[in-house]
Amino acid sequence: MALTNFDAYIDGRSRLHIWTPRLKLIGLGALMFSFAAVKHLVLVAPMLCVAALLYGCSGLPLLFLRRRLRYPGLFILAVVLVLPFSAGSTVLAQWGPLALRQEGLITMVLVVSRFLSILTVGFALLGTTPFLTLLRAMRSLGLPTILADMTLLTYRYLFETASMLSTMQQSMHLRGFGYRRRWLKVERQTITQLAGLLGTLLIRSYERSERVYQAMQLRGYGRLTQAQLTAKQPIDSISWLLTVGCAIVAIAFITFEVVLSIP
Amino acid sequence: MHIPDAIVPAQVCAGGYALTGLLTWYSLKQINKQKNPTAQVPKAALLTAAFFVGSAISIPIPPMTVHLVLNGFLGVVLGYFAFPAILIGLFLQALMVGHGGFTTIGVNASMMGLPALLAYHLFNLRYRVGTESRRLVGVFAFVGGFVGLILAALIYVGLIVTTISTDFDVSTERTAVVTLLLAHVPLAFLEGGFTAMLAVYLQRVKPELLSAAKEAK
Repeated sequence: MALTNFDAYIDGRSRLHIWTPRLKLIGLGALMFSFAAVKHLVLVAPMLCVAALLYGCSGLPLLFLRRRLRYPGLFILAVVLVLPFSAGSTVLAQWGPLALRQEGLITMVLVVSRFLSILTVGFALLGTTPFLTLLRAMRSLGLPTILADMTLLTYRYLFETASMLSTMQQSMHLRGFGYRRRWLKVERQTITQLAGLLGTLLIRSYERSERVYQAMQLRGYGRLTQAQLTAKQPIDSISWLLTVGCAIVAIAFITFEVVLSIP
Repeated sequence: MHIPDAIVPAQVCAGGYALTGLLTWYSLKQINKQKNPTAQVPKAALLTAAFFVGSAISIPIPPMTVHLVLNGFLGVVLGYFAFPAILIGLFLQALMVGHGGFTTIGVNASMMGLPALLAYHLFNLRYRVGTESRRLVGVFAFVGGFVGLILAALIYVGLIVTTISTDFDVSTERTAVVTLLLAHVPLAFLEGGFTAMLAVYLQRVKPELLSAAKEAK
């Protein structure tokens, strides 16, 4: 499991980097939702332009987006590639039994464009906001304390748990696990051993959690007031401007979508 | 079994977030009823990390390998903490490896979290049946794991069918849906079996891990 490069944040001085995080979350979140609502081809070009403009403003390298899009991109392609050949009745071209259909092609263009736009905006948000700042922003927007603490601790121990699993798997392989695999046969013993592996990982994590909790209590965990936890920083006027701008664009997309849907 | 961005309409994404909000509120309400809810937080977080990493373990089903969803087992071990754990896991997966999507976190969390809560209640039914023997734990854990995955698969298929392009050929759609459902049946058996083995192992080595869900009741 590739757990490297977890925090997508890339240091910079762009306008997106200094945009107040909680307003950035609201603005870009609204934009992503409005992109998800796009169903008409006429809105695809403006949607892609807005996403490209935002990404350009973020000052993030294109390589970052390309790398991040690779895995989900392959998945979405596998899902939508079948559409132009299976959905719709208007045949555009025919190659033997394979027919390229207009309706399916339009749906594919829509899905791929929405996907690219949403992910571009999403990665512009993640690339310009450190994970912990993002979490604080969520907390200031009302994320429950238990959820915030759990996310923070999960994030903190994810790498160590992955490293622990990797060591345990290496030990299993050194003891001969996986060398005697039979073709087309599910071995009960293999599954039992893997269940034991995950079980041991859980037990080790559980034992560690007891020590972590005691250490956290000694450091004052649970004694901060709600006001201290959600203390808000002042917001500059440009951040307000950017947020209102994003909200207007999001509302415009949804309005156009509704207007275009009226027969 | 993740729905990526741009596949389902915005209304479904918003509905998913609303349902997730409701289920999170309900789960947190139940968690806060416990004697010391904060004491459970580090444990739930570390187990979430372990599950997150553990779901990457490849199970060899020759000629391929599969990854487990483990939502049923999350319900079995974490009780009401399972829903926040799944929500956090999905958030981190979208962030880290691009599984799922940003706008579909709500839909995916409801799809996997609701069956996890059901699996927890199913697993707790063992207290009504009799003494907590290893066999009983195994049987109820199997049911929890099996129902967890099959229900999530049904919700997944239901969502895809109701939101799929209307231009799709009906017979192609029906074939795809039936194939998708049938493909999940052996996986559900595998998930149930793995959950049962895991629960029996924990019952033998660290029984308090399984009784944590009972305390939450």
